[in-house]
Amino acid sequence: MAVLSQLIANGLIAGSIYALMAAGFSMMFSIQRFMNIAHGATYVVGAFSAYLFAKIIGWPFWIAFPIAIAVATLLGILINHIVFEPLQKEKDKNLALLLASFGMFLLIESIILMIFGADVKSFGLPVERGMDILGAIITPLQLIIIITAPVVFIGIWLFLKKTLVGKALRATSDNTVIAATMGINIRAMTFISTGLGSALAGLAGILVALEQNLEHSMGMSAILKGLTAAIVGGIGNVPAAILGGYLIGLAENLGIWYLPSGYKDAISFVILIIFLLFRPQGFFGMKKREEVAE
Amino acid sequence: MIETYLLHLFIIACLYVILTTSLNLAIGYTGLLNLGHIAFYAIGAYTSSLLALNFGVPFWIGALAGATLAAIVGYLLSYPTIKLKGDYLALGTLGFSIIVESVLKNWVSLTRGPLGLPGIPKPSIFGFAIDTIPKYALFGLILAVLVYIVLEIVVRSPFGRVLQAIRDDEMAAKTLGKDTFNAKAKALALSAFIAAIGGSYYAHYVTFIDPTFFSILETILIFSMVIVGGTASMLGSVAGAVLLTLLPEPLRFLPFPSSIIGGMRQALYALLLVLVIRWRPQGLIGENTFKKFKNGVKR
Repeated sequence: MAVLSQLIANGLIAGSIYALMAAGFSMMFSIQRFMNIAHGATYVVGAFSAYLFAKIIGWPFWIAFPIAIAVATLLGILINHIVFEPLQKEKDKNLALLLASFGMFLLIESIILMIFGADVKSFGLPVERGMDILGAIITPLQLIIIITAPVVFIGIWLFLKKTLVGKALRATSDNTVIAATMGINIRAMTFISTGLGSALAGLAGILVALEQNLEHSMGMSAILKGLTAAIVGGIGNVPAAILGGYLIGLAENLGIWYLPSGYKDAISFVILIIFLLFRPQGFFGMKKREEVAE
Repeated sequence: MIETYLLHLFIIACLYVILTTSLNLAIGYTGLLNLGHIAFYAIGAYTSSLLALNFGVPFWIGALAGATLAAIVGYLLSYPTIKLKGDYLALGTLGFSIIVESVLKNWVSLTRGPLGLPGIPKPSIFGFAIDTIPKYALFGLILAVLVYIVLEIVVRSPFGRVLQAIRDDEMAAKTLGKDTFNAKAKALALSAFIAAIGGSYYAHYVTFIDPTFFSILETILIFSMVIVGGTASMLGSVAGAVLLTLLPEPLRFLPFPSSIIGGMRQALYALLLVLVIRWRPQGLIGENTFKKFKNGVKR
């Protein structure tokens, strides 16, 4: 029983991070309609700027972390503006953008490697005794992750449902052309969705950096999991992506009950391929099948 | 010493020519954005290495066995994935390659997992041992030229024209009575077959392989070579492979730790990839990958 609750707890921790990644990814996808792999680089930049400001420079967390999130946000907006926006005009833009975002991901990852070096870094926070919650041992930092994510998600949900900007975002995501004729500034929507999405990635990066370690190569698995979660939930739909994140996190961690833990990464991709084949619109998605497969 | 280094570069360039031209068959000519090419390469490398290490199977039989296995896997992979569109196909194949990598890492009783396979014998073909660097370079040259000729013949054949028709307008190809699914599956199988030969060629050259050789970064490298060289041009792929093999080499002599040099190499590939997509989508030689079609006519 204790093992089960521990696995569920681990699933929720991983799921929170995946859900943050998936929510940001999906928010950007809902407007720009391409798979932005560079989102994974934003996550790494969030983590490393937090490390730079808080650990190397030594600012207190409450100053360092918001600034790190701001850095991630600005980076996301900047890349989108310089590299991705112009490519949107290509006919086969999906492929061009997918590859270009892969390129940007690698470029940023290698720049971080050159600046910070290849060794594993950590905030070196004191390891605190875990609390026993229903048989699962959870450290305070993990508890922060488990709690922060839903708080952020409720914020996003309220923003999308209740505010004018949120409604405009959803309208643009539904139908860009009609949204534009109704006077919604599409470029502003792109700007907002990229900024918000990148901020979420930055936040996810910081949370992981606090709880685990920092490595320049941490972004690839994060974006792949986020992307998988977004597709499994239903791509372009933020709440569905969030649920997809928790689903993947739990599936991975419960899966190692049966499989060697080395297969953890493979589990989410098997789920991805199954979903692409049989339910490409995702678990909760309304998206038409035709957009994904013939 | 310097000759050995240059010949080594030549051998590696031949490997990448084999990998890029075969990938170009899938991407450039058939329009399949296959991000799983490296998995076929891995299957080839591991199959012939394991056969040679465990059963003393001669190189060419092992290489053919690996290539056949990869071709079968490629053909089977097309059943679930080929109906997916563009970027979703890319994701599906990427998932496939990560699953293969994960199996290589975890099936320890067969592959020794992260420890890798040391002591892979140098090949010997019909009693002719390819055991020195110059001999291997010649072997690489012959192999790369052979692959190039075969692929050039394939893409100019009626079959190759069907592939290009599928890429340009699959519906039109179907209307003309072409079995587009079968053609795409065959193209993927052929592409996989050649990549696997590249894998055997490389494994028996370096005599040691481990799963890290077949990571997603390697996929991106080969992809960059295809895009930089120009898609739908075999000559472009050769140019891309040679250029991207040689270009980062001077970095090796900079006074930095190897991890930093590795980062620089990666940055160089990534930068080239982005610049080419952004400003010269047709690559060095080739057609615009993301070309615009209007009423079926290339603009």
